[in-house]
Amino acid sequence: MPNNLAEAMEVAGRFIAAGEEFDWIAGGTDLIPNYKWHLNPKPNVISLANISELNQLTRTHIGAMVRLQDLTENEEMHPLLATAAGSIASVMIRRSATVGGNICLDTRCFWYNQSEDWRQSIDWCHKCDCGTEADCRVIQNQNDLCVATYQADLAPALICLNATIHLASPNGLREMPLSDFFELDGMKKNVLNRGEIVTHITLLEDSYSLIGTYHKLSQRETWDFPEAGIAATWDGKSLSSLKIASTGIESIPRDHSEQVEAAIESWNGSQSIDELSESVRKSVKPVNNTGFQPSYRRKMVKVLTRRSLKQLGIK
Amino acid sequence: MTKPNRIPMLPQAGNRQWSASVNEKSVSKSIPSDAVLLDVLRDRVGTLGVKRGCDMGTCGCCAVLVDGEPRLSCLTMAAEVDGKKITTVEGLADGHHLAPLQETFTTYGGSQCGFCSPGFLIVASALLEKNNDPTDEEIKNAVEGNLCRCTGYQPIVDSIRAAGKILRDGKEATNPTDPHSNPHPGFKGDDS
Repeated sequence: MPNNLAEAMEVAGRFIAAGEEFDWIAGGTDLIPNYKWHLNPKPNVISLANISELNQLTRTHIGAMVRLQDLTENEEMHPLLATAAGSIASVMIRRSATVGGNICLDTRCFWYNQSEDWRQSIDWCHKCDCGTEADCRVIQNQNDLCVATYQADLAPALICLNATIHLASPNGLREMPLSDFFELDGMKKNVLNRGEIVTHITLLEDSYSLIGTYHKLSQRETWDFPEAGIAATWDGKSLSSLKIASTGIESIPRDHSEQVEAAIESWNGSQSIDELSESVRKSVKPVNNTGFQPSYRRKMVKVLTRRSLKQLGIK
Repeated sequence: MTKPNRIPMLPQAGNRQWSASVNEKSVSKSIPSDAVLLDVLRDRVGTLGVKRGCDMGTCGCCAVLVDGEPRLSCLTMAAEVDGKKITTVEGLADGHHLAPLQETFTTYGGSQCGFCSPGFLIVASALLEKNNDPTDEEIKNAVEGNLCRCTGYQPIVDSIRAAGKILRDGKEATNPTDPHSNPHPGFKGDDS
């Protein structure tokens, strides 16, 4: 358990030099259940719990180890972030789970998040193939791409608020817009290299002038991961500031700027809201690997987008 | 048939000395460095009131107070709470006297098979510690991470509300044999 960032990087560097596998553990609410089910466990874990640098929480700076419940209860935080964080899992999980952990959440799949015996009975899957080079169980006869779903609630909200993510590794620091952080592969998930961690997320003070909504489709109101989630923001005046992002549908959260730009070129009131919702629906391609049917999730993307836009007061 | 490939056993973690105050008694144990708090509390410390339910963070049976805050012990690394103050359900009662919350759980039927009760009691005690006059909405939000398969939750909400009243007034809230809710809302009898 390293006590500061430099020490953590040193420990990670030592494991990399020795060729040993390891995972970072923050809150543990995602990693520990996966380890208990023997989903790609590593021989070593490095805990970030003692690193106080990662706990800082201000209006513009959210440390990776900030607990989700603190984000929900912090009155200075952007209401959209508080809403999105408050919709995650249950209150006790939120007290352990961290912002960094939620952003780096392992992708989930009906065929993957199962006990070891269950997975053995289907001869494993591509994501945890146990050396068998098993095919993907969702898309048959291919073992190149994992299509497990990314189901974190914070990501679309932060993308809509133009957040920047800051990373640290033994080789140095780097930062990037959050939308560039994710990679379309259920196994690689994001751009993090081995030994690299998320240190914090920064928001611009300007982001606080945006108003936003987050709508989530889940099986139950509490505890469940989003089967589809739509976040949207705008400044209340100009349509050019409108941003829509989705989660829980594909292996990455999507920024729907392309569809928004096409729609606002010829904006025509409520008819355009319907058209924009339809184009967002068409742009996402859920696969059959969560609780609800993909066709239903896709239809609900349209409903949630329309609901979000109406709630924002867009005409 | 080929033998299935199992994930190779992971190497055994080294031991570390772990000390904490469990129910106001300081304990010091040698535990594996990757041990989960639930295992340490049940197997090493012997506080069997902490229940292993789903082991995945869903059911809330394993809740304990860590420095007064309810946490899921099945998802907490023991090393992370080294040196902290841990309260399990055993620590709620004062000797042979039940805490008000335990008292109302028995009288209002908040506990039936009893397996989930330790979790509910821990979470509710943390709620009442902060706010001894919670609304039903606040109670429901506080226990959203706990599952109960017997009671249907309403007796639990009643118990917590009544315990809050005992803590405020220092005496039993109402006669627990009174009906808690109107079983036929909207029905006013033949003559009305």
